[in-house]
Amino acid sequence: MAERLILCIGTKKGLFIAESGKTRHRFELRGPFRPGVGVYSALIDQRGTKPTIFASSCCPFFGMKILRSTDLGQTFKETKSAPAFPKDDGRALANIWSLEPGSGKRDLLCGVEPASLFRSKDGGNSWELVPGISNHEHSRQWHPGNGGLCMHTIVREGNRMHLGISTGGHYLSEDGGKTFNASNNGVGAGFVPDPYPEFGQCVHKIATHPDAPGRLYMQNHGGWEDRPGIGVLRSDDHGHTWRSIAAGLPSDFGFPIVVHPHNAETIYVVPLDPATRTCPENRPAVWRSDNGGDNWKRLAKGLPKKESYFTILRDAMTIDHLKSPSLYFGTTTGQLWIGRESGDQWDCLFDSLPPINCVKVAVV
Amino acid sequence: MGLMATSIPVQIPATLRSECGGQSQLVVYAATVGEALLQLEQNYPAVYRSVCDETGTVRRHVHLFVNSDLVFGDNSFDTPLNSGDIFFIMPAVSGG
Repeated sequence: MAERLILCIGTKKGLFIAESGKTRHRFELRGPFRPGVGVYSALIDQRGTKPTIFASSCCPFFGMKILRSTDLGQTFKETKSAPAFPKDDGRALANIWSLEPGSGKRDLLCGVEPASLFRSKDGGNSWELVPGISNHEHSRQWHPGNGGLCMHTIVREGNRMHLGISTGGHYLSEDGGKTFNASNNGVGAGFVPDPYPEFGQCVHKIATHPDAPGRLYMQNHGGWEDRPGIGVLRSDDHGHTWRSIAAGLPSDFGFPIVVHPHNAETIYVVPLDPATRTCPENRPAVWRSDNGGDNWKRLAKGLPKKESYFTILRDAMTIDHLKSPSLYFGTTTGQLWIGRESGDQWDCLFDSLPPINCVKVAVV
Repeated sequence: MGLMATSIPVQIPATLRSECGGQSQLVVYAATVGEALLQLEQNYPAVYRSVCDETGTVRRHVHLFVNSDLVFGDNSFDTPLNSGDIFFIMPAVSGG
């Protein structure tokens, strides 16, 4: 079968799948799966012979489920169980924010709200709490940001694991996820008296590239007039220290940060006005740096030139891995945009979906 | 002397029937709401997980009724169930 492009679009009212050929000229939409139920995370797992799609289904009425599809999103079934805290723990699952592959063939990792990490060794049928971070001595001091107290980012880098917690900060494990330390040297916070606390930062997203071990990019909660530049950061030492790369951006507040699949120096952010969380001057634009954050270029060809009031959430932007990759972002107003030629030309693929929480893409 | 357990029908809303093989009514043998929930946990764990979270707290958007009386408050699990009562699980009204 010819290669296809699959987009998973998690929305406030269910999961949608969009599919196209490699030309990306025309996308066909199907869904919603679990209509009416919020989907905050999705994973297109390509480790096996056949891709498997996972998605969280976060029902405020009856609780959380993990959905799984083995037919490229034609049908979804629930896994046998979803993450759950032990009965005597005292915490209850409020949302599922991230799904990532683990180290073993069928291992999955799942970041949840309240901020904790779960691991499955059987493709999502059973789950166990990862105590090194979930019961970390800091964990009862973390507090929720606007989106809740969420573990939204899980990045594996060999035996290292990076976690992004809002608001908890960046936590690093260097022993495969057994133990974790807060690793926020250079990561600022604008909402506590200490501008550089040990932990408690409102990290929004962390991104890496497999060809640049040790390099990480972070979109942190910026937008503080009296603490400028703390919103967009870079680390070159596996997240032990961080430095600002926000100079040249119209705002250092934003949610997603994405790395080009073929060049670790090329990164994308969506600067937002910190007060309204919409694009500056209501003219949406993605900003790209081709030199690891030293300079930035505004990409807006094809995007609305005025009167746009949407937000792009932390997991709502991604990039495919084709030779000339396209970016994709979903908006809180239900539009899905494609940025062809690495973001040089933008087109709206779908304009009336429910508010979009997450977008994932894979060539299958 | 404790309350006498009795057979109590449990009405399942349409949105939860997929968790119990499509049944619209289950039966528990219980003297209180707490006992009824315990039996649901043992015999219909998927239904129970949809009604209560991991701490055993009834989910915020779920309401329990004995006949037409809403079960609420600190001692709600002690609410007695008597012969002829019907125990309802209902989704709470949300939105406008």
